[in-house]
Amino acid sequence: MRNTLLLAAIIATVTITAAACKSDIGPGFTNDKVTLGLFVSTSGDIATFGQDTKNGAELAVEEINKAGGISKHLIDLRFQDCASEPAQGGNAATKLITQDGVLIGMGEVASGISLAAAPIFQKYGVPMISPSSTNPTVTQQGDMIFRICYLDDFQGAACALFANQNLNCKTAAILMNQDDAYSTGLGKFFRFKFEKLGGKIVAEETFKKGASDFNTQLTNIKGKNPDVIFAPVYYQDIPLIAKQARGQGIDKPLLGGDGWESDDLLPKADGKLDNCYFANHYATADDAPIVANFVKAYNAKYGSNPTSLAALGYDVVYVAKKAIESAGGINEKLTRKAVADALRGLKDFEGVTGTFSIDKNRDARKPIQMLKIKDGKVLPDRRIRPEEVE
Amino acid sequence: MLRTLGILALICAAAFGLHLVLDSIDAYWARIANLCGISILLAVSLNVINGLCGQFSLGHAGFMAIGAYVSAFFTTTLRYFDDAAGQYVTVLPLLDQSWGFVPALLLGGFAAAAAGLVIGIPTLRLRGDYLAIATLGFGEIVTIMITNFSKVGGANGLSGIPAYSNGFWIFTFAGICVLFTLHLQRSTFGRALIAIRENELAAEVMGIRTARIKIAAFVYGAFFAGIAGGLLGHFLQTISPATFGFMKSIEVIVMLVLGGLGSLTGAIIGAVTLTVLPELLRDVETSTGMPGIRMVVYSLVLILLMLFRPQGIFGQRELSLRLLRSLLPGRRKEGAPSAPAAFTAQQSVEAKTFFARAPQTLPPQNEGKK
Repeated sequence: MRNTLLLAAIIATVTITAAACKSDIGPGFTNDKVTLGLFVSTSGDIATFGQDTKNGAELAVEEINKAGGISKHLIDLRFQDCASEPAQGGNAATKLITQDGVLIGMGEVASGISLAAAPIFQKYGVPMISPSSTNPTVTQQGDMIFRICYLDDFQGAACALFANQNLNCKTAAILMNQDDAYSTGLGKFFRFKFEKLGGKIVAEETFKKGASDFNTQLTNIKGKNPDVIFAPVYYQDIPLIAKQARGQGIDKPLLGGDGWESDDLLPKADGKLDNCYFANHYATADDAPIVANFVKAYNAKYGSNPTSLAALGYDVVYVAKKAIESAGGINEKLTRKAVADALRGLKDFEGVTGTFSIDKNRDARKPIQMLKIKDGKVLPDRRIRPEEVE
Repeated sequence: MLRTLGILALICAAAFGLHLVLDSIDAYWARIANLCGISILLAVSLNVINGLCGQFSLGHAGFMAIGAYVSAFFTTTLRYFDDAAGQYVTVLPLLDQSWGFVPALLLGGFAAAAAGLVIGIPTLRLRGDYLAIATLGFGEIVTIMITNFSKVGGANGLSGIPAYSNGFWIFTFAGICVLFTLHLQRSTFGRALIAIRENELAAEVMGIRTARIKIAAFVYGAFFAGIAGGLLGHFLQTISPATFGFMKSIEVIVMLVLGGLGSLTGAIIGAVTLTVLPELLRDVETSTGMPGIRMVVYSLVLILLMLFRPQGIFGQRELSLRLLRSLLPGRRKEGAPSAPAAFTAQQSVEAKTFFARAPQTLPPQNEGKK
């Protein structure tokens, strides 16, 4: 009895205190500073992805602050590590919102972590821009969630168009990793578009994650004699596939997606990937001034060529800047909702990864860069715009 | 019976009070507190299998995955994404309330328990390392099956799960789990578990049906792991097979070992420590400006703890008034437990005083000292 009374008293006290105080997340800027949040993984399985993104974003912040900041407010970039785990990603997002009071959150690379962070940003009405999560459901989590990379349906279709128009292929084979949603997804979208364009998929072969012998699949493909082999796999697998294919005497080009991108790609392939093609977000060898300046500045600061993730991390900060400026710059009238509205209306933003707009699904509508491997170099080939594949 | 119902009502009331507190404090710390609640469920349920019964299971994340997917499937298939409205719409308006969540959660728990039964019958014939490998295999099978099952999103996982988990549900279930486990430890069944852990052959000679008891412990642990998985899914609002990988099982085992394998209070303390520690270390990372230092310090803390206190924070003891009193200077008795492997009658009495229960509810003290 005494315990029950005590408990009732505790509950009553707590209810009264709970009603009295409620945390406020603030406007996201002060008189001379604007707080932006970055959450990617710098530890765990996907730490390299997060580190590249962070490098790119920090380079952009440094440049903007050197040039005077966003409407005379210097950027105060707050970073939180997601440790490659959805639960920790959610923690990082919550900390950025409620403790750092960021105006805009930028992150994650992995869709699984972005999906855990998105409902939190949506709940607090803070805009979130993902630089590189490709799962379509990420931006469906709410009207505050945006992304600036292309989606895999567009990438698969663009590869099919490229095979049909530029490589003049009538038949194609697909070789994919059955355990990977990225790989099977691209394969599916490629098949759909290629057949629509009048081509024929003569073989579809799969392998298991971690496989190192692809000879069985390649023998089957060789028997069907396709004009091109579409291999939407990661950079660890493609050099082995190329060597074994050339070893079997298959001389047709291999075609792939952005999973091929890596500094290791060419050294590991021993020249066997010559005259092959892959799709990417941008080309380091692009001579457009914005790309050349970025590659030069990145090399000077970090001593390596920027990956696509670094380029997207760089672009995401500039997208945030442009959105704040289109919302009327930083003054007492600026709200997070106004920034989100500006993001929704973002048109013809010129970034390292191409000129793009935000569509009605809050996804980026942007061109894809096809790359050609020739004499140990990765050279820019055709750029495919979204309207070309529709 | 009436008494149990009363205690359940008290747990619910306390969880509700806690829920209100968490609602009023900073959302970040409230979130960490909720994650602690889920970790407590995981650690306490695994403690019954690994700590009390001494069966080394590496498949806890597999049970979590089953609970998470079954309950999330139940709550998400009854909703769809409305393109025009730009949000999720519920088929049955009644399920919009989080009351629809409890049957879903229990369904997840029972599915995990059923899996525990199916996997327990053949594998619990194995001992030691062999059992560990078999349960590890089970965990892998679960994640691989989910990855290749496109109805639940395959490798991409499920997203848009309604945010039904909150402080109230998490701490109600954590409280129930702790209470049940406390009762279980004191029951004949709990003593049988400890007997099996200490010497399986001797336990069998004493007339304990070891196979049955081990399977029951397995099913019990699996049930609460399934509940924890369901709570986590509806808390994160997204689940994927990668969330329930092998490392998740290891994480729960580390919680147990850190707190003291076989101790209920140890499991709770271990769960809270391992959930809060990485978050406390975030500020270390920000202030030193060294990315990744967080995980280095975290690992270092674990290594140091194991070096200087290999039996875990609590060993096999429980936090109790008597234990606290015996730690006070000048009142230290000669019977300070030194052999870490022995769960003595003395300690079980200490466990009782944790909730200051009347001594007449003690079961016959016939297990004897080792």
